[in-house]
Amino acid sequence: MIRNILFSAALCVLGALCVYSQTPQATPPPPAAPRSSKFPTPVDQTLPNGLRVIVIERTESPLISAQLLIKNGGEVDAPELAGLADMTANLLTKGTQTRDATKIAQEIESLGGSLDSGARWDSSFASVNVMSSKIQPAMEILADVVRHPTFKSEEVERLRQQYLDNFTLAVGDPGSLARMVAARVVFGDSPYGHPVSGTSESLTRITGADITKMHSRYYRPDNAILVIGGDINAKDGLALATKYFGDWQKPATPLPAISAATENATAKTGRIVVIDKPDAGQAAVYLARTGINRQDPDFFRGIVSNSVLSGYSGRLNQEIRIKRGLSYGAGSTLDARRDVGPFVASAQTKNESGAQVADLLLGEIGRLSSAPPADVELTPRKAVLVGSFSRNLETVNGLVGQVGSLALYGLGLDEINRYINNVQAIGTADIQKFAGARLDAKTSNIIIVGNAKAFLPELQKKYPNVEVISVNDLDLNSALLKKKQATGE
Amino acid sequence: MVRLSLRLILGACLLMTTPLVASTQTRMPQLKFTDRTLANGLRVLTVEDHSSPTVAIQVWYHVGSKDDPNQRSGFAHLFEHIMFKSTKNMKSEMMDRLTEDVGGFNNAFTNDDVTVYFEVVPSNYLETLIWAEADRLSGLNVDDANFKSERDVVKEEYRQSILAPPYGRAFYLLQSKSFQEHPYKRPTIGSIEDLDAASLKDVQEFHSTYYRPDNATLVVVGDFDPKQLDGWIDKYFTPIAKPSRPLPRVTVKEPPRKSEIRVTEFGHNDLPAVGFTFLTAKLSDPDADALQVANAILTAGESSRLYHSLVYTQQIAAEVLSDENALEDAGLFIMGAILSEGKKVEDAEKSMLAEIKKLQDAPVSAAELEKAKNQLVTDQLRERETGNGKAMALGQAAVLLGDPARVNTDLARLQAVTAADIQRVMKKYFTDSNRLVLYYLPQTTKKEGQ
Repeated sequence: MIRNILFSAALCVLGALCVYSQTPQATPPPPAAPRSSKFPTPVDQTLPNGLRVIVIERTESPLISAQLLIKNGGEVDAPELAGLADMTANLLTKGTQTRDATKIAQEIESLGGSLDSGARWDSSFASVNVMSSKIQPAMEILADVVRHPTFKSEEVERLRQQYLDNFTLAVGDPGSLARMVAARVVFGDSPYGHPVSGTSESLTRITGADITKMHSRYYRPDNAILVIGGDINAKDGLALATKYFGDWQKPATPLPAISAATENATAKTGRIVVIDKPDAGQAAVYLARTGINRQDPDFFRGIVSNSVLSGYSGRLNQEIRIKRGLSYGAGSTLDARRDVGPFVASAQTKNESGAQVADLLLGEIGRLSSAPPADVELTPRKAVLVGSFSRNLETVNGLVGQVGSLALYGLGLDEINRYINNVQAIGTADIQKFAGARLDAKTSNIIIVGNAKAFLPELQKKYPNVEVISVNDLDLNSALLKKKQATGE
Repeated sequence: MVRLSLRLILGACLLMTTPLVASTQTRMPQLKFTDRTLANGLRVLTVEDHSSPTVAIQVWYHVGSKDDPNQRSGFAHLFEHIMFKSTKNMKSEMMDRLTEDVGGFNNAFTNDDVTVYFEVVPSNYLETLIWAEADRLSGLNVDDANFKSERDVVKEEYRQSILAPPYGRAFYLLQSKSFQEHPYKRPTIGSIEDLDAASLKDVQEFHSTYYRPDNATLVVVGDFDPKQLDGWIDKYFTPIAKPSRPLPRVTVKEPPRKSEIRVTEFGHNDLPAVGFTFLTAKLSDPDADALQVANAILTAGESSRLYHSLVYTQQIAAEVLSDENALEDAGLFIMGAILSEGKKVEDAEKSMLAEIKKLQDAPVSAAELEKAKNQLVTDQLRERETGNGKAMALGQAAVLLGDPARVNTDLARLQAVTAADIQRVMKKYFTDSNRLVLYYLPQTTKKEGQ
């Protein structure tokens, strides 16, 4: 049968003769033999000042992306100064010894380029994306903002107000508020617990001196990685790096120790936390728990397990959207960081179905170990991972981001060419093992931000220990989650 | 996530072409495409590109939310979702089996003027996808349970994009208040009541009215053998007959505005917002290029005029945005600001109007013009990094601009925009009587009687 289909297809290749003689067939034609792809090999060098430089050539588009990574981000914020690393990184582009904020924006935008900076967990970054013909002036600006920022007080004040406004906007959105609450529930007062861009209280406390100190402590060549990718070869990339970063002096002081892993509260029974926001147009339902760190030997078991749950045809979306029409989309992420990061599964739904969706999220996490995917289900979910990984490497930003992440976490850069095999090696037993040991439903937390009146009675029937906090009493500054005056009632 | 209406509220933003400009030093890769039309009217555009072993397939249907049936706002978009349900030869969600399960992906979007279905798959699956797209153009076979469940998904999409985000309804209002007569006054997502009124019968009617080969354009970009691809297209698409009925088209013309329209609404936002719209030039109008450049000068990047004035210098706004939304039958320029804490909408309104006046009173400098053009080119280069992005650019040139060659020639049109052109379009369209102003204020500030 297969041969026949191939044969008729081959006939058509010969010309238009068969054009009007066929009707659409009732089963899809099968695929031809697959073609393999290989990704570019990163070239990895270290300058005498300790700056690690990685170049990846990809010439399909006349674009270059360059990213300077600092190996610390929001996790080194002092608890009362949440948002410090992010504000520091953001302020890089707001003035240097020779350019003010306006000049920086005008110069980079005149090149048609974009210049971004900020902090995430485990890293801070400044990056440019520009046409390859404009890379020289763009790199000069990139080096200037990383090495010579001035942190003028008027710029600090301006950015502080923007961060405060953004925090207000984030609290007004059920999804982003649920993410911030989930981080506190999972990580408590430990480093990944606070909002990476701060809270209204912590942002108010940050001083110019804190920012200058953060910069001098962490922004040094031996704590940095420069990744250049796109329409440039290794030799030219290294020459660019040397020209603009070669004379960046390494301080005599020792590198700050990478913050020690903070032990997460171990295997506590999961909490059910409701943030009552009566004006919420939808309920954001989150399941959150600890996951894995990036160096964990179970990393590939973890990401394949996540792929079984997440993505359009993953189990969560199958159950919540496709079968029941309860949400526009349900999915999950396993965010592997330097220390153990979070696993989060989520969906937004009408307020009335908040409890039902919480149940479905918990049920699917449990089912991953009680009914692990057989090959017929698992093979497509692995294909999803491999496909999206490959497509991500088609853009220069994706390529630089992927390689930068491997470098940041001390992994071999050749992993981009081993990724597919690593994913394919995972089997049903691996998923069962990972889900049972690392994604236990009993120790997972549920966070719902929404109009509690619509779903609380149903939720309480099943979970008597629901904690309800009014959005007006919510305090994102500590693991308690409740403002002091509200805790004594 | 999937089956989304990209920038649903703003309409055709993603699709509206950002024309290209050839910077002196940059090679802008030309898309070498083939263009043919089958006897049944299906237009086929292809670009052979072997840079990765994948292929992007798109089918553009020339039907959008402006074609929603009476009392059925949101129907074109709901229908887009239904196109992933069962056909004569495919079970529900089989498209996902043929794409996602083999390492590809699929998606679709609806805007005011078009509905676009797209897939990217490993290139050895190309024939399968050509078959599948032909199959769902041939007809749907959806049952009531599937229809209702998908309608619930779309209602959740409405809640997620309009009701949940603090400013979702503000964008909805900006579009719906901007048009008096033209069906563009119905935002693509529609309304819950109209979605509830939709039935399976509407689905069959809509498919037979608009989903026909002479209303479709197939775009394929990627790793294929052209002869083989042509053979598959002929084999699976030519048997689909072209109906003899004429295709209904919207002919309503939006009348010019006679005086300023002012709207005040209250929402669950903590920071007030102000929005403006102006009726501008439709997509095919020669003014569309100058309006695109003007839009970039106003809000592209931190050195743009509105950002620099309102966010940076005066610190009145937390965010500013603008968009030149050039649609087939009309253009709608949207501009807005979310205020910073403690600031007044009246002051933001005054400052934004002052920036418009500056563009009317004096020409932009050569450097500022060049900057805007460089930004637009680089954006375009980034969009065209992938096969799917290239196909999108080709599809919009063919279907919305009426000429696929514009994918390569819009570069020169944009390059030709002068400072005088920008000043001229700013004076022509940004008048007092052509202005709509929306104040979107926190419910907590609502006074008795408002």
